[in-house]
Amino acid sequence: MSTLVRVPLRYRIPWKKIVLYVLAILFALYLVLPFYWIVAMSFMHEVDAISVPPHWIPIHPTLENYLGFIRPNAAQELVGGRAVSETPYSLRNSLIVATSTAVLNLVLATFAAYSFSRLKFRGSQVLLVLYLLTRMVPGIAIIIPFYLLMRTFGLLDTYLALILSYTTFALPITIWILKDFFRSVPRELEEAARVDRCGWFRTMWTVFLPVAAPGLVAAAVFAFMTAWNEFMFALFLTSTKAAKTIPVVAANFATDFNTQFTVMAAAGVLAVVPPLVLALLFQRKLVQGMAAGSVKG
Amino acid sequence: MVALNRLGFAERQPLGDNAKAWALNAPAMVVIALLVAYPIGYSFYVSLQKNNLKRPRAKRFIGFDNYKALLTDHAFLSALKVSALFVLVVLGLTVVLALILALVLNERFRGRGLLLSLALLPWAMPGVVNGLMWRTIFDAKTGALNGLLSQLGVIDDYHAWLTSGTGAFLFTALAQVWNTLPFSVIILLAGLSTIPSELYDAATVDRAGALQRFGQVTLPWLLHPLLIVLILETMNAFRAFDTIYVLTGGGPGDATTTIALLDVQTVLTFTDFGLGSAYAWVITAITLLISVGYIGLLYRKGNFEV
Repeated sequence: MSTLVRVPLRYRIPWKKIVLYVLAILFALYLVLPFYWIVAMSFMHEVDAISVPPHWIPIHPTLENYLGFIRPNAAQELVGGRAVSETPYSLRNSLIVATSTAVLNLVLATFAAYSFSRLKFRGSQVLLVLYLLTRMVPGIAIIIPFYLLMRTFGLLDTYLALILSYTTFALPITIWILKDFFRSVPRELEEAARVDRCGWFRTMWTVFLPVAAPGLVAAAVFAFMTAWNEFMFALFLTSTKAAKTIPVVAANFATDFNTQFTVMAAAGVLAVVPPLVLALLFQRKLVQGMAAGSVKG
Repeated sequence: MVALNRLGFAERQPLGDNAKAWALNAPAMVVIALLVAYPIGYSFYVSLQKNNLKRPRAKRFIGFDNYKALLTDHAFLSALKVSALFVLVVLGLTVVLALILALVLNERFRGRGLLLSLALLPWAMPGVVNGLMWRTIFDAKTGALNGLLSQLGVIDDYHAWLTSGTGAFLFTALAQVWNTLPFSVIILLAGLSTIPSELYDAATVDRAGALQRFGQVTLPWLLHPLLIVLILETMNAFRAFDTIYVLTGGGPGDATTTIALLDVQTVLTFTDFGLGSAYAWVITAITLLISVGYIGLLYRKGNFEV
């Protein structure tokens, strides 16, 4: 029995492993704790949320902060009432705007990206760089003319104004991401379809796009998140609950000094759930896309 | 001629492909021309005007007067300084933290996948919500930071973190770093994953220590992704708006009024479209300068093959 026990001659402390795990745990806490705090607060009664010392977990968990968006109680009606009542509308608006942006962006970008991945043409390099350059343009540089343009066409406070501006933000990066995904689709598939005398559009629709679907989904998610998170243009272009998006309404909570932190936290959690769920669902593709969209351009 | 060749000009291509390619690009180009190129040009035109929405009668062409005024415009000069400092602090912290986190994620250990997922959390968070979140954390009376530090015995009394200029500036920078960290981590991680493991093996055979391996193998390979991170994060920090707007609104005083914030205030609050456009053009010029460096960098690396 005792012969089986091998006593190490020299026991070495695995410093590397220790440092690694300590760092990993510290980073995990750094990444999670701030978010945990607003999630926890969103399930607390106001009294518990503002107590000193703080309660780190909701000891009397409640849904009243969330339910208040549908049917505000007297106190919520009184303080920060407008932001509270606008929250459900803004979620609807954000959903419509972000989805439309994703779809429009995908259609436009698919055509362009296909040309870069399959066709050899003059000026292709210049065009790619131009797309990239437009991505570098700060939003603030175009917002004033954009505002005036939308005012002229009577599009202020409409979905269309937001969809158009977000499409221009997302388009260049989507083209760059899709071009890389499309290149990984084997050419033989299209050639086989061509032998079968399929037209170009039919080839695209029945052969190419289904194979490229994962890339398309990633690009759509990217555009959706861009549109969902954007704030500055929404601040300029919207003014009522007809088009205000969730970041605008969430900012209203912050600028109102009477706001209950618990209600504000609940609105923040609602605003972060859709992009967060998408990010986790499509984690691998998004990380690939981010890396491709920046390391490679 | 060689340069033209590299840009894809001089090669003769079948006409069919050319026409088809431009047709395919037409929709995207029209949208971008209409909604980016035209507005940029128009905003330059507006920047040459005295143009305040509240005083439409006084609207007129004044040449470069808006730009000349910038040189003695205290609000502008202060905002420029705040922006520059903000970029420095955010960039420094982001690069150091992102590098460490990327190196950790590049190792194999239990829970790596979970940590990678967690790293996406700040990235998915809208800037406005990020601002809200840190507001509840830094709050003077009920904030989590005060609660945590006093429970740990680090501080005796609750502090008002955001009331002094320096404090507000530093804590705003910290909030911004949290939000932008994941992007850098992912770029660096992608760079790390391309390092051939043979290089590390060779270094180990040469009895190179961990630090030496980092200096001789990792860092040279990471130079390119690091530069990209530096450039993209500089632009991000330079334009930072959402988080600051919600967290401090530019205050106290103008301690956190960055150039982007000043521009929005000028346009939205004072409806001074002429001056606002001049601010915007200064921001654009600086950003474009940085991005030319970025594209040059990518070009040299040969990442522009089609």
